[in-house]
Amino acid sequence: MRNFVDFIIKNINSIIFLILISISISQIFSRNYYHGSKINLFSNSLLNSINEIKTELFEYFDLVKINQKLVIENSFLKNNYNNEYDYDSIITENNYRYIPSKVISNSIKFSKNFITIDKGSFHNIEIDDGIITNRGVIGVINNVSDRFATGISILNSQLKINAVLKKSQHFGSLYWTVINHQIMELEDIPKSANISIGDTIISGGMSSIFPRNIPIGVISDFKLPESTNYYEISVKLFEDFGSLRNVYVVKNDFRGEFNDLKNLNE
Amino acid sequence: MNSINQLLFFRFIILSLSQFIIFNNFLIFGNTVNIYLIFIIVFPLNFNKSLAYIITFIYGFVIDFFSNSFGIITFSLLISILIKPYILKFAFGNFDVNKVRKTSEYISGTSLYQQISYLILMFFIHQLILNSVEIFSLQNFDVIFNKTLISSIISIIFSYFLLLIFFRKNA
Repeated sequence: MRNFVDFIIKNINSIIFLILISISISQIFSRNYYHGSKINLFSNSLLNSINEIKTELFEYFDLVKINQKLVIENSFLKNNYNNEYDYDSIITENNYRYIPSKVISNSIKFSKNFITIDKGSFHNIEIDDGIITNRGVIGVINNVSDRFATGISILNSQLKINAVLKKSQHFGSLYWTVINHQIMELEDIPKSANISIGDTIISGGMSSIFPRNIPIGVISDFKLPESTNYYEISVKLFEDFGSLRNVYVVKNDFRGEFNDLKNLNE
Repeated sequence: MNSINQLLFFRFIILSLSQFIIFNNFLIFGNTVNIYLIFIIVFPLNFNKSLAYIITFIYGFVIDFFSNSFGIITFSLLISILIKPYILKFAFGNFDVNKVRKTSEYISGTSLYQQISYLILMFFIHQLILNSVEIFSLQNFDVIFNKTLISSIISIIFSYFLLLIFFRKNA
């Protein structure tokens, strides 16, 4: 302690100088908008790189789980290939391309959640591309840098996506009510649809962002309020957003054409 | 000691007032004339260092406040007062700090070239730090250098005459 006090007394000039200069530097970066944004940009890219390293490290320990997931996905694909899909040249949806990528950061605790992935404009990723896994729709890309991209998670109270009842092909919109990260609400399904608990919900493919037939979840609860003709349906998601690792960015090659045509009608 | 404190107080008031009332309001080739650095240039030599840093900080803060450049001038003034002894040694040769109090005592008997080179070094380094922090991008180094050169030259001309007129006797 005595040595410490001696040290301070000996170097009081330098210490005061350092304190004053750090006050002025903090003023520069907090009060000047330009300097603040520059340092923000720098720290964000640094943080993203650190996060990427961290993800790579932890991914190694999760290899067993990832392997199991891949096996399940593989068997699912094989089953579907043999049974359901008829790979006729007319039916094949070959305008969708899939880019595998990894989740660097993800949140589920806010009302507006975002995802950061490790692919960016260098890998042909553009704003409005979709993010999916084989177990559900994850979100939509909203910002792209050279090596990274961020997306609006479907666990974001501002995002609504198009979804379809697999059994009857009635369509509605799916949105999040912020309460539980595994439950979403489906609206606009008419009274005439004959639904029951356990029915599967899949993506509708009407927005040109996501292809059709991606599984989303099952109906966990529903009610028909009096004086309306539409169900209020709770959907339990297949994908656990708390443990997202590998996702696919899905690009629609014909989206520009599709949107141009759509705008003509509006 | 008392007279030195009074002197510092008057310089503080007069230089900061004249900077933001007069010199902040006109531009020469797009640059303001920064005469506030005179405060550092004629700052007493044998002065408590910690106190000198604190006074410089407050002085920079006041000028920053009236120039809408939060922290930038304070930062470059603090760096300037830190390197001032080294520039003095470089311009005038070795000296014993404890024997001289006022800058005028020290520079009496030195040549004009030495005085001018002291001014040039102080102003150029100060303006270089100021403009680098203000523009804050290495791609625009040519802009930084141009601004530094022009504002140093006009500030040196103004400051030299001000020093000659007002600070000759009791710098």
